[in-house]
Amino acid sequence: MRFSENGFYIEKYLKCANCGMLVYGKGLAKERGGRAALYCSDWCVEWARLRAANSGHFSLPIVQPKLPIEARHRPAGPRMSPPDMVMMNILDSTLVSICREMGILLMKTSYSTIFNEGLDFTCALADTKGDMIACAEFCPTMIGGMPLLIKTCAQEIPFDSLEEGDVILHNDPYRGGLHCPEHTFFKPIFVEGELIGLAVCIGHIAEIGGMVPGAFCGEATEIFHEGLRVPPVKIKKAGRDVEEVWKLLLANCRTPRQNYGDLRAMIGCVDLGASRVADIVHKYGKAVFRQTCEDLMDYAERRMRAELAAFPDGKYSFSDIVENDGIERKPYTVAIDLYVQGDEIVADYDRSSPQAKGPINATLGVATGAVYNGLLHITDPSIPKNSGAFRPIRVVSPPGRVTNVDFPGPLVAGNTETHPRLANITIGAMGACVPERVMASESCTGTNFVFGGNHPDYDEYFACYDIMSGGWGGRYGHDGNDCVIAINGNCRFNPTEVFETRFPFRVEDCELVQDSGGAGQWRGGLGYRRTLLATSVAITGSQCSDRHEVRPWSIFGGEPGGNGATLIQKAGANEWKTVRELYGKVSSSKYANITLDPGDRVRLVTPGGGGYGDPSARAPAAVAEDVQEGYVSAQAAAKSYAYPRRE
Amino acid sequence: MIDKRSVLGIDVGGTFTDFVAYDFRTNAIKTWKEPSTPEDPVEGIVAGLKRNGDCDAIANVRIGTTVATNALLERKGATIAYVTTKGFRDVPFIQRGNRRAHYDMSWVKPKPLVRRRHCFELAERIDAYGAVVIPLDEVQVRAVAAAIRAVAEIEAVAVCLLFSYLNPTHELRVRDILAGELPGKALSISYDVLPKWKEYERASTTIADAYLKPVVGRRLKAMRGRLDETGLTAPAVIIRSNGGEMTLEAASEAPVQMVLSGPTGGVIASRFVADELGIDNLVTIDMGGTSTDVSTVIGRKESFTTAFEIEWGVPIQVPMIDIRSIGAGGGSIAWIDKGGMLRVGPQSAGARPGPACYGRGGTEPTVTDANLVLGRINPDNFLGGRMQLDVEAARRAVAKLAAVIETSLEDTALAMVRIVDNNMIGALRSVLIERGLDPRDFTLCAFGGATPLHASALMREMGIPRAVVPIHPAQFSAYGFIMTNPRVDRQRTTQLISTRFDVERANTVMDELVGQCVAELAAQGYTHDIEVHRALEMRYLGQNYELELPLAIERFEPGATEKLWALFHDTHKARFGFSTPGEIIEIVNYSVTAMARTARPALTEFGRGEGEPKPKAQRPVSFLGGPRSVPVFTRADLLAGQIVRGPALVEEEASVTVLDAGYRLTVHPCGHLLIDVEG
Repeated sequence: MRFSENGFYIEKYLKCANCGMLVYGKGLAKERGGRAALYCSDWCVEWARLRAANSGHFSLPIVQPKLPIEARHRPAGPRMSPPDMVMMNILDSTLVSICREMGILLMKTSYSTIFNEGLDFTCALADTKGDMIACAEFCPTMIGGMPLLIKTCAQEIPFDSLEEGDVILHNDPYRGGLHCPEHTFFKPIFVEGELIGLAVCIGHIAEIGGMVPGAFCGEATEIFHEGLRVPPVKIKKAGRDVEEVWKLLLANCRTPRQNYGDLRAMIGCVDLGASRVADIVHKYGKAVFRQTCEDLMDYAERRMRAELAAFPDGKYSFSDIVENDGIERKPYTVAIDLYVQGDEIVADYDRSSPQAKGPINATLGVATGAVYNGLLHITDPSIPKNSGAFRPIRVVSPPGRVTNVDFPGPLVAGNTETHPRLANITIGAMGACVPERVMASESCTGTNFVFGGNHPDYDEYFACYDIMSGGWGGRYGHDGNDCVIAINGNCRFNPTEVFETRFPFRVEDCELVQDSGGAGQWRGGLGYRRTLLATSVAITGSQCSDRHEVRPWSIFGGEPGGNGATLIQKAGANEWKTVRELYGKVSSSKYANITLDPGDRVRLVTPGGGGYGDPSARAPAAVAEDVQEGYVSAQAAAKSYAYPRRE
Repeated sequence: MIDKRSVLGIDVGGTFTDFVAYDFRTNAIKTWKEPSTPEDPVEGIVAGLKRNGDCDAIANVRIGTTVATNALLERKGATIAYVTTKGFRDVPFIQRGNRRAHYDMSWVKPKPLVRRRHCFELAERIDAYGAVVIPLDEVQVRAVAAAIRAVAEIEAVAVCLLFSYLNPTHELRVRDILAGELPGKALSISYDVLPKWKEYERASTTIADAYLKPVVGRRLKAMRGRLDETGLTAPAVIIRSNGGEMTLEAASEAPVQMVLSGPTGGVIASRFVADELGIDNLVTIDMGGTSTDVSTVIGRKESFTTAFEIEWGVPIQVPMIDIRSIGAGGGSIAWIDKGGMLRVGPQSAGARPGPACYGRGGTEPTVTDANLVLGRINPDNFLGGRMQLDVEAARRAVAKLAAVIETSLEDTALAMVRIVDNNMIGALRSVLIERGLDPRDFTLCAFGGATPLHASALMREMGIPRAVVPIHPAQFSAYGFIMTNPRVDRQRTTQLISTRFDVERANTVMDELVGQCVAELAAQGYTHDIEVHRALEMRYLGQNYELELPLAIERFEPGATEKLWALFHDTHKARFGFSTPGEIIEIVNYSVTAMARTARPALTEFGRGEGEPKPKAQRPVSFLGGPRSVPVFTRADLLAGQIVRGPALVEEEASVTVLDAGYRLTVHPCGHLLIDVEG
């Protein structure tokens, strides 16, 4: 990373040519294909060499990249005593309980529906080297990105300069972040004047300025279209608001009252976490706390290694297509190669497409988190979610790809659309390794329709990030669930009665889409549709979705899931048209700033999931039940399952 | 004239049916148990009455029943139809779009209690202002009625139309038409069941009510018949989930109100104990064989929730006593996970085979085995000596684990007990700390057979300064039933904001709710000594969760609302650590509770004693610092005012209280054991 001499800005974001990690020190300059390339470590030089020389499986024991702040960290002295299992039990459950309490506070006090109904946030605790020691289950995308966020932040604001009562805010996607709406708050935790850890919260702030209300600009070509980017800054210093920062933030969004409420809620959340942890440290002592946190991370690492060791060694590959980037009508490939080597896995995104012009690019934090997310789905869910669990997993994501965006490329959809694709191909790749643990593709989209306008009842601007859910893929032994949020989040969507109370839309229907689940021995789950009528004022809408043209993939002989769609019916017209047809946009799944006048309708349809296994192996009784309940039409059942079948 | 002089509480549990009879002439309390008969629960009740009940003397009987709970959990309710607004029949299927747990790909999303083929739509619409956008088409309602009639197995109908909580005219009209068209079929209308916003939650609650009505109605009718046959002709009431009681007829009409009937008794009894001891805040903990229930009594009132779920994602949002349950009990099994960590539960050895020490073939080490190895349980005095425990079997089971983690037998047993304690601490944290409550302001109320073994350890780890082991800890729920009052809770959503607060509208809503509550009590025969409590649920405009503020006033007055807003800012600050003065406040829900105060039992005082009692024995017990020889007392021998100093054990028929060093136990005049920190 090249900082300006005055330290006020970054001149160049430097990344490892192999793994894509930010390089803060000098790095290793090596020749590659006749050009000078920068690497973070010998491991990456060797990995790049092996990959170029081998098309099949190879292995190289993992060495995790270390930022300078980690390298400086002094290892703890000789341990005091053998690990205390009772203390580990106590501390793990207490720290997770603290994170949950932080989340409940955030849910109950925040203003944006994406927080309080959508629960699009996560709360965690970190140690002083930036490792995550505990988190609560809210939004899992953010969990994978957290260690990188904290560490890059520590590179710029040395932890030894922190004071009690400081709160740091940071959302820069190129410095460990996920996308601009995702705001991260850190509060240092002091006990008797000594820094003991950090309380952390990451949350999605719906409206942050930029080209469209709600940040999801389907036509963004630069980060500057996607809203305000905030480098690591102190929003509170020694317990006092830094007014200049507040004013800058609130001047650069369309909904300052709402944002003020959300920012206060997030600060309340880290305040709570910090004070709870301080109480715990007082109770058990600093040395016991530190040692037990290390023991817990070692324990999670052992658990993860035990899981990975059970997988047969080999190279497992998978890829998927993103239909377009909103700027050009051409598809992009996301591809992964998983190298299972003993009790470790290296995940390599090298075969993915070059960086897109539009907003589908993922940051390194997103690409890393997606691998963790996918692997956590096929390993034991009870492994503690701390940094230790991720030590046996090394993510390689070369820069300048759709899987590791370079400044100033756009990326707002990378976190919500590309993340689920990456997590799903990670799972798909493992299909060849552990077929009974995997699932066909889910919808992989949050639909992400955002809109704003002037509220007719309150004298203020409104903006909303509306999330929808689609079908899960079929899996061994079970059909896919209907209408469950994509793998990157665990958001609930807005009830109609809340939605209409807040926004000048009327919801005209909310229905499952028949036949949208891909046929299979275990079929995919169904997507659903909603029709929204603009009632009284003009509303500006934008969207970052996908799967309108590329169907969710099936596995082991199933059929793919149904496509999603966005259709518009102008007031007085009968026909429904796509956004491309009506507004002349490049894409109907990614677009910016269409106007819905009163009387216009928008219909949002979510994809179903892919099928698992040959449809002819499906139990006839299950097919008959699907037809009677209307999940599958008689025609589709006849085609895919030869229904009615004579026994 | 027969001498009616007693109240009978009956708690039908999974293993035992508990009976508590209170004679209000003499204040005498009699308790007994009868094995439960899960295939036909009335069988156990009748057997208990025949064995011990003086049926003629009983003035009224209060029953905690799992009829509704089991019908829901086992999905053995009626086949029902669901009627809703056009375009929205899939709301119960789509639900809220989130998942039970992340990373669990084996999860199967629950289906609602209605089949999709039995869902019907009506072209009608009310908007978010309560205005009619599409009028109800009565011809269509009759057509839907005909379609429902055509499906013979449909026994009940649930109706939930969008925005009915704002304007119920369509729903009420649908109710009237369906009642006429479908005689004999039960109806549940969302405006009656739960007039609050969020259509999925309201629909799910209404569907559950309809699903239960035919089944519960038949069961309660049959039960009444059997009680009459047995000679128990006194009025019977059912304990409802809010800790109140309702007549059998009222229960049949609103069965969704009784899904949490039995477990509320322990909390009601705890509140009674709080009154008796002059304690404001209790946290209750009931550890049984497979699970532990935790709840709170704050300011001498039970805590309520509207977040109950039949299973994850299928809510019933009527107000009920907030009881959290976790899988930690005496039968919880200890095991070593793949990372080499010692864990306890949630798997349980249950009643069969039970802990290794039961000698019924169990070989896995359980919490009860650990307590036996540590010397805390007396193998010769389990269930009053009716069951001999096998110490060697317990030691063998625990020794298996000790070998794996390379620790001594006693240290392994201690670690097991401390880990299960920690699991219970997790439950206590969730009802105290996670809600912003300070454990130092609470007293632990420890009842249920296994809890007193862990009481002083829980006090220490949780920082709770006092505990009480009440009388009748093993029949505490049935004991609570004899103290219930008829109680009705009603809530309604009507959104207003502080800058445009419509005093008249607010008063109208509140008055209507009070009227409904009082009428519901009157319909059950209660017209005297009615207490009414009003509350508002409010939030900052933009937030999505409300804080409940009890109201001291009966009517809103123009110009007096500033005080209300100030109170909200203060409450927000106290609960969440910050407030936003000057911000617009939204008033969302109005709630009213009406209670008929009935006579409460008075307890007889114990004989008084002096100083420290004499132990009946001395035996070695393992603690954190190593084994110690400790005195053992028999609870029945203790007298009021006597003091026991830890370390010590106090044994009774169904339980043992472990008193750690540094803790002191004082016998209350009514027999409760009070524990505090010495010095």
